Amino acid sequence: MSEKKRKPNRPPKPAKVVMKHAVTAVFFGVMIAGMCFTMIYPIVKLLPNVFSSLLDLGNPDVIWIPVNRSTLSFTAAWRLTMKEGIMTIAKSVGYAAFITLIQIFVSAMVGYAIARVNFPGANLIFVLVLFVFLVPPQALLLSQYIHFQNFWFFGKVYNLIGRPVTLYLLALFGFGVNQSLFIFVFRQFFKNTPKELEEAALIDGCGFNKTYFKVMLPNAKPAIATVAVLGFVWNYGDTYYTGYFDPDGPYLGYILNTTFQSANQQFVTNAIMTWYKLPLANAFAFDAVKQAGALIYMVPLLIFYFITQHWLVENVENAGIVG
Amino acid sequence: MKKMKFKNKRKLSGFLYTTPWLIGFVMFFAVPIVKTIWWSFNEVGVSENGGMELTWNGVKNYVSLFTEQVASGSQTFLQVFTNENTNLLVNAPIIVIFSLFLAILANVKFKGQGIIRTVFFLPIVLGLDVITDLITISTGGDLVTRGGGLFSQGIAATMLLRYTTISSDIILTITSYVDNIFSLISQAGVQTLIYLAGLQSISPSLYEVAKIEGATSYESFWKVTLPLIGNITMFVVVYTIVDIFLDSSIASEVYRFAFTKSRIGIASALSVVYMLNVLLVLGIVLAISKKVVKKDV
Repeated sequence: MSEKKRKPNRPPKPAKVVMKHAVTAVFFGVMIAGMCFTMIYPIVKLLPNVFSSLLDLGNPDVIWIPVNRSTLSFTAAWRLTMKEGIMTIAKSVGYAAFITLIQIFVSAMVGYAIARVNFPGANLIFVLVLFVFLVPPQALLLSQYIHFQNFWFFGKVYNLIGRPVTLYLLALFGFGVNQSLFIFVFRQFFKNTPKELEEAALIDGCGFNKTYFKVMLPNAKPAIATVAVLGFVWNYGDTYYTGYFDPDGPYLGYILNTTFQSANQQFVTNAIMTWYKLPLANAFAFDAVKQAGALIYMVPLLIFYFITQHWLVENVENAGIVG
Repeated sequence: MKKMKFKNKRKLSGFLYTTPWLIGFVMFFAVPIVKTIWWSFNEVGVSENGGMELTWNGVKNYVSLFTEQVASGSQTFLQVFTNENTNLLVNAPIIVIFSLFLAILANVKFKGQGIIRTVFFLPIVLGLDVITDLITISTGGDLVTRGGGLFSQGIAATMLLRYTTISSDIILTITSYVDNIFSLISQAGVQTLIYLAGLQSISPSLYEVAKIEGATSYESFWKVTLPLIGNITMFVVVYTIVDIFLDSSIASEVYRFAFTKSRIGIASALSVVYMLNVLLVLGIVLAISKKVVKKDV
């Protein structure tokens, strides 16, 4: 990045150095290309399936390029899952984004406090956060469900199951999807920020809140970006919380999960048969439609990530650690 | 006197920042976890009115878990736990190093890096349960395992085996790891992202200083990058360990015992053993890292 600055008053590089640079570049290029190939491969494998005509599926002659191409799989997947059309996606995205914002706000505060403030019990809280993180959801599933059905809150008993508000409450109190992980991320990043920053703010007369919001939080940009990406992906892709606490809500992940569960295969195949007059639709057609659904589902995630990724790798150099 | 007061105020504010989480801990977590532990010491059945019926039976669930119960792979639970822990010991270091390597690759600056980084993000997306379920083919096999065997049966491996004098054991071990690259990549997605952010949190001025002092990029990696991402590495290690356990067959056995077999007592006992196992591993790792790093992590 500082290439431009250095160039003018530099003597020409000796051939050996040029050679070395070229070798490194080729090495990195090959490595990156190889890794990318491996990562894209599962998706590439899907393409001939989803773009093939539904009746042509299972044709052993087709490996990469289907003979009869069609986008019917996508149309079918869309019709099966998007009850409100594009709004279904919009609502899921909005939900995930909003929950993620709450999660970032709460987790960053907790993470900052246990990383930088030496109050008694800070380490205990950290250990508890780790503990929450390591408990598998399966182990809590049943008791949590029963507990939430008869949720005692200051003398009154509420049923928290089947209410969207439960999801927001969980995030607000630090127990949303993988939230202890986010607290942990923030703690580790705040541990890494130099002490001088905080001290400088204090000398400038900033109080605790001001130091945090004006100096420390803006400096935690990489951590915020990471948590934003992970939080968005996991909330958007969550079927556990949404499925239990608000099964009728507009959450695309859960809708896809229930529509394409294997018990539903007959229903989906029948729908394809009658809608598109394809009496020969079979298990292959079910798979193709299911995979098309997965691809549609992934689009918002990829767009979101493509937008945020340069934010993720933006360096903290302009944050003024030295000055 | 004034300083004292200031410090106390700071501690109070810090504590206040954690109160939402503490309330959440009591409301949403403590009660269910205590219940699960309680169930593990009871025989849990269904009573007449549809509620739960508990009969105290001490550590019987735990004894029966390790003596009578068998996991779905017809292994005893002692075997299951031994397997998972060995698996962890082998794979965790590989995943941690590999994710750092991937993060360094993604951090290289060049044209079109945005697209490359988006590709590097795919494993996290493909690792979502919803998506894995959706792209799995119900007519047999899934895509990720289909990619397996790509390298050990490939030309390069065959050539190496036939025309070089390298021991076939070594080649086979290496190719089996390369074959596993699909699962390795899918297990390293989140860690790569975290490392990538960690690399950004290092001030570039430190690298400048190292360069002025005459350090090669190799040296500045060992002397600047590694020490400064110690905190992040600790996170990555803990995450990797917990993630391997979550992915393990133990976690799915908990589900199977609770919901398919309706043996809630046994399932709870299994959960408790699982948690103790993870705690023990984490404890050992943290103790070692404190000794090695000698820094507050």
